[in-house]
Amino acid sequence: MSNAAHSWKGVLNEAARAGAAALLLFGPIVGLTLSGYELESHWSRAFILAGVVFVGRFVIAALFLHPRLGPWLERRFTRSGPAVVVDKGRRVHHVILTLLVIATAFALPFMLSKYWITVAILALIYVLLGLGLNIVVGLAGLLDLGFVAFYAVGAYGYALGHQYLGLSFWEALPFSAFLAALFGMVLGFPVLRMHGDYLAIVTLGFGEIIRLALNNWAQFTGGPNGVSAPAPTLFGIEFTRRAKQGGTPYHEFFGQWFDVSYNRAARYVFLYLALLVVVLALIHVVQRLRKMPIGRAWEALREDEIACRSLGINHVTVKLSAFATGAMVGGVGGVFFAGSQGFVNPTSFTFFESALILAIVVLGGLGSVVGVIIAAVTLTVLPELLREFAAYRVLLFGLAMVVMMTWRPRGLLKLRRPSFALPKSTKSAPEAQS
Amino acid sequence: MHPSSRAFLSLVAGATALFAAHAASAAETIKIGVAGPFSGAYAAFGEQQWRGAEQAAKDINAAGGVMGKMIELAKGDDACEPKQAVAVANRLVDNDGIVAVAGHFCSSSTMPSSEVYADAGVLQMTHGSTNPQVTDRGIPTIFRMCGRDDQQGVVGAEFVINTLKAKNIAVLHDKTVYGKGLADAMMAHMKSLGLQPVLYEGLTQGEKDFNALVTKVKAAKSDAVYFGGLHAEAGPLVRQMREQGIDAPFVSGDGIVSEEFVLAAGGPQYVKNVFMTFGADPRRIAAGKALVEKFRAAGYEPEGYTLYSYAVIQSITQAIAGTKTTDADKLAKWLKTHGAQTVMGPKSWDAKGDLKVSDYVMYKWNDDGKYEQMD
Amino acid sequence: MDGYVIAQQLVNGLVLGAIYGLIAVGYTMVYGIIGMINFAHGEIYMISAYLTAIFLAVLLSFGLNSVALALLLTLILAIVFTGLYGYVIERIAYRPLRGSNRLAPLISAIGMSLVLQNYVRLSQGSRNQGAPALIEGAFRFGSDEHFVQITYIQSLIVIVSLISMGVLTWIIQRTALGRACRATQQDITMAQLLGVNTDRTISLVFVIGAAMAAVAGVLVTLNYGSFDFHIGFVTGIKAFTAAVLGGIGSLPGAMLGGLVLGLCESLFSGFVNTDYKDVFAFSILVLVLIFRPSGLLGRPAVEKV
Repeated sequence: MSNAAHSWKGVLNEAARAGAAALLLFGPIVGLTLSGYELESHWSRAFILAGVVFVGRFVIAALFLHPRLGPWLERRFTRSGPAVVVDKGRRVHHVILTLLVIATAFALPFMLSKYWITVAILALIYVLLGLGLNIVVGLAGLLDLGFVAFYAVGAYGYALGHQYLGLSFWEALPFSAFLAALFGMVLGFPVLRMHGDYLAIVTLGFGEIIRLALNNWAQFTGGPNGVSAPAPTLFGIEFTRRAKQGGTPYHEFFGQWFDVSYNRAARYVFLYLALLVVVLALIHVVQRLRKMPIGRAWEALREDEIACRSLGINHVTVKLSAFATGAMVGGVGGVFFAGSQGFVNPTSFTFFESALILAIVVLGGLGSVVGVIIAAVTLTVLPELLREFAAYRVLLFGLAMVVMMTWRPRGLLKLRRPSFALPKSTKSAPEAQS
Repeated sequence: MHPSSRAFLSLVAGATALFAAHAASAAETIKIGVAGPFSGAYAAFGEQQWRGAEQAAKDINAAGGVMGKMIELAKGDDACEPKQAVAVANRLVDNDGIVAVAGHFCSSSTMPSSEVYADAGVLQMTHGSTNPQVTDRGIPTIFRMCGRDDQQGVVGAEFVINTLKAKNIAVLHDKTVYGKGLADAMMAHMKSLGLQPVLYEGLTQGEKDFNALVTKVKAAKSDAVYFGGLHAEAGPLVRQMREQGIDAPFVSGDGIVSEEFVLAAGGPQYVKNVFMTFGADPRRIAAGKALVEKFRAAGYEPEGYTLYSYAVIQSITQAIAGTKTTDADKLAKWLKTHGAQTVMGPKSWDAKGDLKVSDYVMYKWNDDGKYEQMD
Repeated sequence: MDGYVIAQQLVNGLVLGAIYGLIAVGYTMVYGIIGMINFAHGEIYMISAYLTAIFLAVLLSFGLNSVALALLLTLILAIVFTGLYGYVIERIAYRPLRGSNRLAPLISAIGMSLVLQNYVRLSQGSRNQGAPALIEGAFRFGSDEHFVQITYIQSLIVIVSLISMGVLTWIIQRTALGRACRATQQDITMAQLLGVNTDRTISLVFVIGAAMAAVAGVLVTLNYGSFDFHIGFVTGIKAFTAAVLGGIGSLPGAMLGGLVLGLCESLFSGFVNTDYKDVFAFSILVLVLIFRPSGLLGRPAVEKV
């Protein structure tokens, strides 16, 4: 980065080159806008942007020139520590902190306005999706660009299951999860032989196929009109103003004993809490899986497939199980999505969604559960906070991805691998796992 | 404390503080939401909508507002995506505290968002969602200022069959809620008149190459093409038809009511023999004359949905003034019994919230690339 | 089914395939040399469509009334500027990541693609834009009633893509630069040891890929006359599919993949159903990859276990 810039002259030179390139790049696109077949000129915009680039480049290069700051920065940018850190047991304050976060999460819906509860629901759904894809990409190292397919299968599994089979939300949950896992297996089989990037494109194609099929097969899926999906109930108690699914609205049910009036937020609070329980349960399951032989096999496969196969790991079952488990989690996310939206249609399942989920996994640090949670919450809450910048938010989002990758290609958090210590009493057996 | 956990905690704390700040909001103005595609591929329609609504609010406020309060508009951008529409609806209702909403534009946005508005007791009036399902689902507080696709499709079908005397009709659509709905409505009426389409297919939104489809239209010896969709696809489609030597009339709906259609087609030479259905031109109605002049004086041609959007704001405020409340059920009842006096003439609604009189007429694109109402 | 219709559909597919092929070259070359999917390549093509319309408008407003000259100048300007975009994108988003894990450049590329899309959206607006039709008319074969036609622009597309592919093949096979490319592709460390400036070579590959996308952008803008900030995605995915279909990393494979994909789409759309054309295209890809995991012309990867 700073090789060419070891003197002030070099710095200026570097900045001037960047500024000139920026002017050339921004000139036609930013400086001239099409309006019909005519042009409108906005030269000042191009010059301002180029100026910003010039100054920015100058400042960065100058920082590198600084006698103490420079080498430090250089180290920051070139440092490449170990990819995986082995976790040394649990620490007490970790447990306390986890409990605190969980308690906050449960208390949250009672402090927020309904709008922010819906944002929190969306954030939790993305946590689910992130966790699901994390198994496939983060743990098993299989690059899946079509994860949205399983999300769609889950959402449609509920909506169509409700329409044709009369499934309720809670019946649809295992049904959709199973269906999504099945789709994961179906996709998994043909792609087993493929290498990383071929896998990426095939999964991408698979995602598109699912979306197109949902859109085109109008007789069955309702096509672009979508299908409605009722909100979840609690043992027949509904959280709407008027009962729609043959149950009792909650304010009438509890109204028998207490003084309860209808509050629109109730249904979202309920959905949020239900979702939170499912997310926590899944986090627990994923953490346990990572310690089990299958989870360790996933990670081993990610690091070196050939070594794994020569050590006798059946890569077919390992890969398929990763696909199926990840897809299942994605399917659960889909069911909650359908339940919270009340309506599904194919436009919610575009490639952009897959990219977003992948970004969550990558920004969070491949394989790290805490990282995924933080990234998912940040990526859903931040855009809502930045509503004023609404027009710029996707741009900033993209920039963040690029900057993040150049700064910390392994993501925000280092992957921690659970450690194991055999009890002293047993014979010193070799590590039997995997 | 572990650094990552600290980051998470501070995030939670920060977010909570911010939410609390949102809680308080005063009600000195009457807030009306304006939700539509202000970004994305259909931003052209969003601009028409916003211009109309903005002008209406300005004019009403200049005349003293309603019930002594000023009208304030809250903009909500859904980009015509259902998921964003739901999020925007929640935000408008909870954060902006709107009492009524003008929008959304795309039927696929209006339908999921209407659940939110209905549940919150917010009156909704769309200026452009023509899908029959919008009002057919039994929501008492939803209205529309435009017609329905089944009415529009009938007018289109009658025109193709009776006026153009076409026998081999190809029906195409863009596989969206609006486009497919319109094409299906048109086809249903055509079949009831005893004609089967020679071709019924959907193209993909966002693509530009329809040559294979056009060749197919040609092979089917179509003497008229009916397209349900928007201008971004209609433009290249009609151009490729003309390039492959198909001069058959091209008939579409109100999704191409924008001069961008000519741009997308590559120039006025390609939009000859193109027809569309749209509500009777509000620019011709006497009540709207002065307003149209006002827009033109400000350098804006009030095309497409501009005046529809203006009329929506007018109707909502008249209902508020008439009932002296913002309760959606009362507003809805008032509108259904009294109707409204708008810039597009007097409007009245039936029990479902559809306009009692639909005034779809045929328009033709002329050689200069402008549309004009056919007499 | 008469022969004219079949022939016309073949023409449609050929033209579409040529465009896919031109864009696929960018994917395949980048993949070949550094083994990454340049997800932002579709956006480069989109930018070149905008540049085409802008330069055309500039040239025409200067009163340049020779269409041929205006087109030639536009082509050159579009290639130069789009090439610059390709170069800068590589410098900013990919070069700092060289040698890091395999996923990082891909994520960076997806981010870059979002950045470019929204950069164009913010500066040019999200509306549909267009360029005027400059060349009209077609070669027609057959009677007035039944004919096969190829418009002048369509024939230009086929000819220009053939020429570009020829030039590119010559560069790769016969010039010093091409040798450097191939050496870097074979073994980047070895090439460095032998004195190849691999950073420059990689930059050049990006510039060449962008230049091919620029050619495609100019041709497409002339042909369809309509574009928006979103076209890069759909076409980019298709072109990438074409590159994989032909065997990613292989230059003739990109062209072949493009043609196969274009013909498949066109014939399926023409004789079966337009609704499911993309489903068919992706299914073909999956099938080819199942039976030939490295594409039609790709060399099978050697795997030692």
